[in-house]
Amino acid sequence: MSAKLATSRLGPGPIPVRAGIGLRAEHYDVLLETRPPVGWLEIHSENYFGAGGKPLDYLERIRAHYPLSLHGVGLSIGSTDPLNHWHLTQLKRLIQRFEPALVSEHLSWGSVGGRYLNDLLPLPCTEEALYHLIARVAQVQDVLGRQILIENVSSYLQYTHSTIPEWEFLAELAERAGCGVLLDVNNIYVSARNHGFDPDTYLRAIPHRAVQEIHLAGFTVNRFEGGEILIDTHNQPVCPAVWALYRQAVQRFGPRPTLIEWDTGLPELAVLVNEAQQADAILEERHARAA
Amino acid sequence: MLALHELQQRFATAVLGEDDSGFERAIHAAGLTGAQRLQVYRNNTRLGLTGALAAVYPVVQQLVGEGFFHYAAAQYITRYPSRSGNLHEFGGPFATFLETFEPAAGLSYLPDVARLEWAYHEVFHAAHHAPLDLCALAAVPAERQGELRFQLHPAARLLESSFPILCIWQAHQNVDHDHPPVRLDDGGIKLMVFRHENLDIEFQSLPDGEFRLLYALATGCNFATACEQAISAQPGFDLPASFRRHVLQGALTAFYLPDTSSSIHDHP
Repeated sequence: MSAKLATSRLGPGPIPVRAGIGLRAEHYDVLLETRPPVGWLEIHSENYFGAGGKPLDYLERIRAHYPLSLHGVGLSIGSTDPLNHWHLTQLKRLIQRFEPALVSEHLSWGSVGGRYLNDLLPLPCTEEALYHLIARVAQVQDVLGRQILIENVSSYLQYTHSTIPEWEFLAELAERAGCGVLLDVNNIYVSARNHGFDPDTYLRAIPHRAVQEIHLAGFTVNRFEGGEILIDTHNQPVCPAVWALYRQAVQRFGPRPTLIEWDTGLPELAVLVNEAQQADAILEERHARAA
Repeated sequence: MLALHELQQRFATAVLGEDDSGFERAIHAAGLTGAQRLQVYRNNTRLGLTGALAAVYPVVQQLVGEGFFHYAAAQYITRYPSRSGNLHEFGGPFATFLETFEPAAGLSYLPDVARLEWAYHEVFHAAHHAPLDLCALAAVPAERQGELRFQLHPAARLLESSFPILCIWQAHQNVDHDHPPVRLDDGGIKLMVFRHENLDIEFQSLPDGEFRLLYALATGCNFATACEQAISAQPGFDLPASFRRHVLQGALTAFYLPDTSSSIHDHP
């Protein structure tokens, strides 16, 4: 259902099975001038919720050259607050205007009692949370009139009353809500290191056909007295261990559109393009083997 | 077992407030304690929201320094929590907060600098609007022109301060260049933050009469009243030239005659 949108009047349609990069304001001009050969672009949906001005103007011009994916960070889909309809309305308007081939949100919550923490906070993996998420994802898909992908987040804690492993929780959600999975390989690696599970267990639990997109990014190691914790900071290149896990994921799920994310300490566009080319090389290896 | 709603409330309290009231017992302590793990989220949330404030208020941050700004932001975040999943909406009442923020009391101009930065932020993201229909305006009979009401462009904001906030703002735009020193006793300013058709944003310093004219129109006065207020604010200023300039540059975007409300001349 994801990558089957016909080429839209706005620009290229389907997301190719190649690497893409996150579009950031600092790169608007150089991207338009140089049009690097990346397969597609992904934006944070909320950055384009404004009524007008430069962000939307640039997006319109850039959209003419690249397939687009919308990645939300603020819907708070796992919150027990009622769904924020104003937020959804703005998301829907953005979808109608830019016709993205993929739309994704996070397996997390970020608000309660009307207060927003504007962070991707971990959910307890309980039956209650699972049923809540199934209903919420279905509601969002109804309002938007399309399938969304749900992404696993990096987490820094686990709740003592969780009863279901996260990988089963995500697989079950995809199965029962009919959403796709955006598999963030870096997040799997970060959480696996933080909580001491085998990342391969995670990969093995996710149904192949659910995975429609993969994310890659860099993390930071914070040392505490008594241990260390990996933080999903999106501020550096993908590390060798995550590339290795990515190879494993591509091996297992087949080639999938793959995004290089970089949010803080943003380098020159060429650095992101180079990371994307590394991902492309891994995707091509797999393509070649399948042929 | 902690129900999802209660978990989220206690998590938010623990992250936003001081007292985590035993919530860390709901968290696995493996290697790191529950409290240390919560601290990661406390840091992330504070950094995320502080970063959003700093993006909108770079001049305020330069004026007070990064450490002070982070301290002020931490207080602001708990007193004016974010109400939106869109971080670009966070920070509107920061100027109001700064007015009563005791540690900044010595910087009396700070709230107005914050107002200027928020106006810029709003104008940056505001809607497009087509220019006013000049032919339709010209067709309004002379005897009815005083009744006209106008709309200010969605990407225009009027600001008034008793401090030279524009000089302060300009002095902090390019720190590598020398700027003439800002003298606080240079007095106040009336200005319009305006986004042009080409999306460039300009700060226009306005004489009293011009400011009063636009302000009166923007707050719903009819043209006759706005002209009276403008002339009494600045007797003898060239009102027709000033009005023409703002119509032509697109600061006034639509007009209507009140008793013929169906005929709003608006080209969105």
